[in-house]
Amino acid sequence: MTTTDDPTVLIAGIGEMVLSSSPDSHLVAYGLGSCVALAAWDPRTRVGGLAHFMLPSGPANGSGPVKFIDSGLDTFLNALEAKGAAISRLVLKAAGAASMLTIGGGLAIGTRNAETIQAGLTERGLRLTAVALGGTTGRTVQLEVGDGRFLVKSLLSVTEL
Amino acid sequence: MQRAGEALGSMSGQVIDVRTPQLRRCTAADVLAMAGGPEAVVVAVYVGIKGSLEGHALLLFSPSDAHHLAQILLASLLGPDVSPAGAASDPTTFDELELSAIHECGNVTISAFLNELGMHLHEPVQPTPPQIVIEMAGAVLDAVLLDLMSEVDQVLAARTTFTEGDRAIDGTLLVLPRASSLPVLLDALGAIGI
Repeated sequence: MTTTDDPTVLIAGIGEMVLSSSPDSHLVAYGLGSCVALAAWDPRTRVGGLAHFMLPSGPANGSGPVKFIDSGLDTFLNALEAKGAAISRLVLKAAGAASMLTIGGGLAIGTRNAETIQAGLTERGLRLTAVALGGTTGRTVQLEVGDGRFLVKSLLSVTEL
Repeated sequence: MQRAGEALGSMSGQVIDVRTPQLRRCTAADVLAMAGGPEAVVVAVYVGIKGSLEGHALLLFSPSDAHHLAQILLASLLGPDVSPAGAASDPTTFDELELSAIHECGNVTISAFLNELGMHLHEPVQPTPPQIVIEMAGAVLDAVLLDLMSEVDQVLAARTTFTEGDRAIDGTLLVLPRASSLPVLLDALGAIGI
């Protein structure tokens, strides 16, 4: 977690996750391009979490607990459960997975990230209730732990998912 | 990287001060910090590097410095009376003429660096066509980092900053090689005295 002067702002840096049960917490992931952020919120216990995934799959090697979606998804869900959230009640929303630059050939990494997060949740019997995935714009996302609002900001707009 | 600065200077007709380049092993967060932090808006010219050396090169400016740079470049081409329209309004808005000038400046600067490198390698270094984006630094850089970091947790970043003329335009040239290209890059950088 990246620290700031404001104790209510918890930042999920690239490959990191943040969790909180404090109603005045704002969980933020800045400047998502092809990365994908998954926001999870339990409306009963008001526990929230935000994970800033980098890549679809790879070895879990201790560096960045949620660097990879395949190994990081359970790490994130387990941490939410430990914090007092019930997995079955989670409201899940995702943003990011854009394609900013044309890099190399093959399928853009953003597209693969979007597919992997959706498939990973489906495998676990979970689904996303709102998404802002794909496109060509960068996004900063913010989960309000107090009421579960999920804000997606680009250079030109702010929308609530 | 001195050569890249000279190329920039010859385009703009200004004196360019190139600071001593830094070569560092970096985490993803370190690279984002070099660009001013993930949410800092940057004007970026991106060039992919193919051939005997593989990786990514980016020339980054803040929006206000990019406007200044475009004004200098356009004034030297078109005369001092041409003032880009975007300069006065939203700082992240650029007109086509400005974008074209910065795009070309990035192309020339990065190509100068790659040509210099290529001279010291056995095979030429091939740049991909340059792309220009105005975005949050995190969004620009994460695709590059994702491409490099699927199997490693750190990247080598060569970074230098330029200061141009009296108006203090700061630019950052960031070169991020693929891990498999590191020995090649280090040899070449040693040869050109980075």
